[in-house]
Amino acid sequence: MSSAQRQAPSTLVLQGVLFGVAALAVLLLLAPTVVVIVVSFTNGYSLKFPPPGYSLRWYAALADAWQLQFAALNSLKVAVGATTLCVLLGVPAAMGIARSESKTARALDSLFMSPLILPALAFGLASLIYFSRLHVNLSLATLVAGHAVVGVPYVIRTTVAALSQLPPALLESSASLGASRAYTFRRVTLPLIAPGIAAGAFICFMSSFDNVPVSLFLRDAATDMLPIRMWQDLEGKLDVSIAAVSSLMVLVTLVSMIAMERLTGISKRIR
Amino acid sequence: MKNAVSVSGYSVAFAAPLAVYFLLFFVAPLAVLVFISFYADPQLGRMGLDQYRTIATDGFSLPVLADTLWLGVQVTLLCLLLGYALSWSYVRSPPPLQKVLMLIIVMPLLTSVVVRTFAWVVILGRQGIVNSALLDLGWIDGPLKLLYTRGGLVVALANVQLPLMALPLITALQKLDPNLEDASAALGASAFRTFFRITLPLTLPGIVAGCLLTFAASITAFISQSLIGGGQMLFMPMYIYQQASTLQNWPFAAAISLVFLVAVLACVALFNQLGRMSRGHAAG
Amino acid sequence: MNPTRRHLLGSALTLGAMQLFPGMSHAQARKLVFATFTGSWEEAHRDVLVPAFKKATGQDMLLDAMLSVDQIAKVSAARSNPPIDVMLHDPGPALTAISQDLVEPFPVAGSKNFKDLIPEAQDPMGPSMFFQVVGLTYNPDKIKTPPTSWADLFKPEYKGRVGITNLNSTLGTGFLVELARMNGGSEANVEPGFKAIERLKPSLAAVAANPGALAALYQQGQIDISPGNFNAIQILKARGVPVEFVAPKEGAIAFKTSIHIVKNTPNKELAAALIDVALSPEVQTRLMQSPYLVVPTNGKVKMEGEIAKVLAKDTAELKKKFVFQDWKKINEQRPEWIARFNREIKV
Repeated sequence: MSSAQRQAPSTLVLQGVLFGVAALAVLLLLAPTVVVIVVSFTNGYSLKFPPPGYSLRWYAALADAWQLQFAALNSLKVAVGATTLCVLLGVPAAMGIARSESKTARALDSLFMSPLILPALAFGLASLIYFSRLHVNLSLATLVAGHAVVGVPYVIRTTVAALSQLPPALLESSASLGASRAYTFRRVTLPLIAPGIAAGAFICFMSSFDNVPVSLFLRDAATDMLPIRMWQDLEGKLDVSIAAVSSLMVLVTLVSMIAMERLTGISKRIR
Repeated sequence: MKNAVSVSGYSVAFAAPLAVYFLLFFVAPLAVLVFISFYADPQLGRMGLDQYRTIATDGFSLPVLADTLWLGVQVTLLCLLLGYALSWSYVRSPPPLQKVLMLIIVMPLLTSVVVRTFAWVVILGRQGIVNSALLDLGWIDGPLKLLYTRGGLVVALANVQLPLMALPLITALQKLDPNLEDASAALGASAFRTFFRITLPLTLPGIVAGCLLTFAASITAFISQSLIGGGQMLFMPMYIYQQASTLQNWPFAAAISLVFLVAVLACVALFNQLGRMSRGHAAG
Repeated sequence: MNPTRRHLLGSALTLGAMQLFPGMSHAQARKLVFATFTGSWEEAHRDVLVPAFKKATGQDMLLDAMLSVDQIAKVSAARSNPPIDVMLHDPGPALTAISQDLVEPFPVAGSKNFKDLIPEAQDPMGPSMFFQVVGLTYNPDKIKTPPTSWADLFKPEYKGRVGITNLNSTLGTGFLVELARMNGGSEANVEPGFKAIERLKPSLAAVAANPGALAALYQQGQIDISPGNFNAIQILKARGVPVEFVAPKEGAIAFKTSIHIVKNTPNKELAAALIDVALSPEVQTRLMQSPYLVVPTNGKVKMEGEIAKVLAKDTAELKKKFVFQDWKKINEQRPEWIARFNREIKV
């Protein structure tokens, strides 16, 4: 009993310190989002915080911002294309390497995951030089090709995790009941790993939409990408409509995140 | 048995399409990058080790690399402080609060980096929150220069990358056997002693994982370094971009990006080694 | 299914998926790409030139904002298939573009407006679209007495409030030459200029990537005084951002900016059409008016309003009042200057 009394003050102090720093961290995580949303409603031309007055003008200005719209549409197209490609190639790959101890499988796993470790900038530059040497013109297709490489690790990771969690007994009993492997896959495996695939595809999509290092090198005026466009606008003009675009993007991210959490429990899958 | 693969596994051949894709669109470009770096001039006339010689001797490129890596270290340390406290508090929070916290932590990962960096431009600007608050409180007479400073950049980067540090730490802290902490307390150790002698060492693998992700992300953070660092600070990402895009000096750009790549891989290997050692330490 | 069939199926699916998304195949004809300058130029061209082009040709066009030197780099890296159709160049890069054979002659015969240009602007390799003027810009709310000389940038009371750009822009390079001239140097000997920048470093609040970014720094209150481009601040002024232009007593720098058709562009006729639209009295008058205040080169356009008041009443007066630098000389050493500046400017 006396030892418990001796501990209490130090526990409180430790908790105070750690909870305090944690509260600061939460504040710092939230502040940017809050600031961007508040500033987007300013009625002035500068990023003064707090804003001198409030207005919806910058959201209205987005209707005329054809360059941003063009870039956003391109980013969307590329993200859809890259994610589709990632799922079509990544899911079979995950099936091939999950739960396999063979050296080939381990090597392939490292290969497929390596885009996550290498600085994507080097890969972006490499892709630019590669396509140029092959006399392949830059287009949305080359962007899709590049984004797919950096996006597929996410699909593989979540799909492998989902496959690893499948009880082997389930598949064995399906086989012992006479089902063919294709049937087992379609009716048993696929429905069970679908949430995992969806989670990976979602992260792949978001990472492609927000991709900077690859888009930086592979884009040109005809294939402008939203993050690069926003960066150039921020560097060149500090246009407050960027705040409006940012708020919309945050809103879309928030809504889709909540939806994905409900559907696939995504926060558990990206640890 | 028809083939050597059991019914619960799939043949490695299923990975063939992606393997071919990676060969064509990942390995080949990198090989071309290496090849290009051995050209001696931007017009791709002769071959030679000139680019690497320039990097080693120009007294500019290597300091830029060193400064970039040092930036990574600074950001990682600050991030570790904030992230560990956050993760520690997370595992001790009631489940409803945990749900909210997890949303707050994960959302930045899915938000565009331009948006998050832009927010920090607003926060650190001369008319931004920090200066407004300090001026209102009367703590300063005139606005401070926070933007385009090293300190501002480190703080902004640490916050932009915080989720990458917090998530592995949360995983590690959740795996911690609570009995160990209780046992330590029962034996009479103060909370601080328990924290530093038990909790921290046992979560070392998570710390290493978080540090690795944060370090790698912060040194390649092109947008943040550009928007918050400004024109007087040059790091490897912008250096590579300037050489490749603005100056169209592909051989040199290729060489410095390869040097950068090797440096990053070396750091990753170092972290992995630390991770292995810490796992042994945690287990033993 | 064995792996080979699966592979073929996968490739077919991939190709099929790509066909579903239009704009991903590179067989489409592309829109005209006009490389304009960043900041207020991009805005001015977006507001005036793009609609005028649409009206004249019925086509859309794309703006890709970048500095002249970047345009040269992009085009010379892909000569056979340039990513840009029409370039905008300050005098230095214009000389480079022509000497490196990156431009096509403008079809003067088919142009309505070429003959109306003032004589200096009539260069078939690249007619001049406007004049630019570089002087001092400052925030009149924070700096009560207007600066009068380049030397004012060095005043101790402006410490931590001065902005400059790097040497990639004409603004930056022109400023360096003027600093050199002020300290006994010239285009041929720019060493005093670099020494002056070294003295200026402690006063610097920011080094901007381009004139557009420099102007934006006024908007955010990050700088209060800088060498500045007359046009870069006009749009900000119109929005109520406190910023003013003043010509230093040593003389403001003036130079003409020319517009060029890129060699091997797939859009040659459209490129010529765009240039003709850019030289037309309608577009030049609109650009001359508030808030753009772009100095015209079409003789039919009288210089009125703000421009006549602040700059010059006509081109003859412009040529007398302002400093014109020797870009041929500057071009010879510009790459070394840029490299040296990038080294020395680091904190």
